[in-house]
Amino acid sequence: MNAVEIRGLTRTFPGKRKGAPPVRALREVDLAVPEGTVHGLLGPNGAGKTTLCRVLSTVLLPTAGTASVLGHDVVTATAAVKRSIGIVFGGDKGLYGRLNARQNLRFWAAMYGLSGRGLGSRVDRLLDRVGLTDRADHRVDTYSRGMKQRLHLARGLVADPRVLILDEPTSGMDPVAAHEFRDLVAGLRADGRTVLLTTHDMVEAEAVCDRVTLIDRGGVLASGEPATIGRLISHYERIEVDAMPEGLVDAVRAVPGVISTSTTGISTLIETENGAATAEVLGLLVAAGATSLRTGRPSLEEVYLRLVGGRGMVVG
Amino acid sequence: MPRTVLAAFRFQAALAWRTPDTLSVFVTAPLFTVVFLALSQFAGRTDLATHAVLAPCLMSLWAVALFLAGDLIGNERSWGTLEGLVATPVSFPLLVTARITTVTVLGLLTFAESWLVAAGLFGIVLDVAHPLVFGAGMLLSALAMAGTATSLSAVFVLTPSARTVQNTLSYPIYLLSGVMVPISFLPDWVQPLSRLVFLSWSGDLLRTSLDPAPTGNVLPELGAVALLGVAGYLLGAALTRRFVRRARELGNLSHT
Repeated sequence: MNAVEIRGLTRTFPGKRKGAPPVRALREVDLAVPEGTVHGLLGPNGAGKTTLCRVLSTVLLPTAGTASVLGHDVVTATAAVKRSIGIVFGGDKGLYGRLNARQNLRFWAAMYGLSGRGLGSRVDRLLDRVGLTDRADHRVDTYSRGMKQRLHLARGLVADPRVLILDEPTSGMDPVAAHEFRDLVAGLRADGRTVLLTTHDMVEAEAVCDRVTLIDRGGVLASGEPATIGRLISHYERIEVDAMPEGLVDAVRAVPGVISTSTTGISTLIETENGAATAEVLGLLVAAGATSLRTGRPSLEEVYLRLVGGRGMVVG
Repeated sequence: MPRTVLAAFRFQAALAWRTPDTLSVFVTAPLFTVVFLALSQFAGRTDLATHAVLAPCLMSLWAVALFLAGDLIGNERSWGTLEGLVATPVSFPLLVTARITTVTVLGLLTFAESWLVAAGLFGIVLDVAHPLVFGAGMLLSALAMAGTATSLSAVFVLTPSARTVQNTLSYPIYLLSGVMVPISFLPDWVQPLSRLVFLSWSGDLLRTSLDPAPTGNVLPELGAVALLGVAGYLLGAALTRRFVRRARELGNLSHT
């Protein structure tokens, strides 16, 4: 069963100025996230990732198309959807800064129907899980961005949801906390939870996601497993070598199965069409004294940059 | 539902404690008591002492509810918490009403302040002659205020110039409801309008409870306060649901 199923989802916002044309934040998006998996939504600012999360969390109505969570339609069965999901919108906002972390979590837990001892112990466990126990009774507006982000995570988990929607969950976290976050997501998957997360961090996406979807200008560019999505931009195996010994380029090109070579700075990229060619090229390089070598298919980051990188810093 | 209400109560009390301006009525109520009692004594109308002591409490109820109602949804939106609240399974209108009820119940404590000021500074000790009527009147007034403020909260968030509306709804209501001046002093054509404001019935009820004379049948007054409070809540709940639906359509539950 798919935990999240989206068909032809379109969301249009009215233009901000009078007479301005409407803005299409999502255009006919199709997406399916199987239950118990971690799915990454990757895309630049303004790509439509947050809009998609908002539609799924019922706080934004779609203009066209359908979206459902655990079989419940986000428009017609909002109550059932709300009971099934946890949301982390992230950022500096979304928490009560004048209250402490414990008061925040107790309130949010009560909003999901928790009460009594169950509520107290759940809040304590979550504070411990996100490493905020020692600061639980300090006002949230004294927290760093990373600490607020951890509290956001705890808030998203407070109702023990079957589906968790995380919008930029590690934004502002230090590397250690981000690493712990990956462990936390792995634990959620092991528990059978479904996680849909948006991120800019390709390393994070490769580390925690079973599948990723690249999204830009409101449309889906590609979907696949992080390890194999590189095939979208290259079907070939690749060898990257730094400071390639002089005179070796022609020898490499002569190896049967070598498709291309290109040099940028000190780095040379060699593409081969099969493992035998790769092995022969590696043999040549090692014999010639090359010591800095990398092999594999294009990384997720390369795919991302190839598909959406042409936009530079342009948003939307 | 009771658990949600209790959680909202605890939450709003904690928030109010950290937001002292919410409870500024605890500073103004004793001052109003001094002003009203001094005026009534100067005019030789010591018979109006009950009015003078009750007025600051009823004014505080209105002020504290109006203050929170005007800011509640707007604050949630600017804090970025409105989306999160709307995404929870709890009824949003119920949550709004429960939170406003918290401050109106706290606002009732201003009566104790006024009573102490009257006794300490003016030597006027008001006996609560009919404690049951007094207790019921106070509780119902706080709930009716919360119900009424729920509709005001929705009106404020749906009105472009909410702050102006909010600022103009204090003293006209104090006058209209007979809190500051007995309704009988108002022009004839205004008096029926006064009866549409629950505070006018609350004032009558509470003054009756402080009067040593037999109360007679107070059910009409109690019923009027309850009815107007429920009407305010139902209108507020409908308007709040409409606001949420509209905001989900427009995508402006948050400022981002």
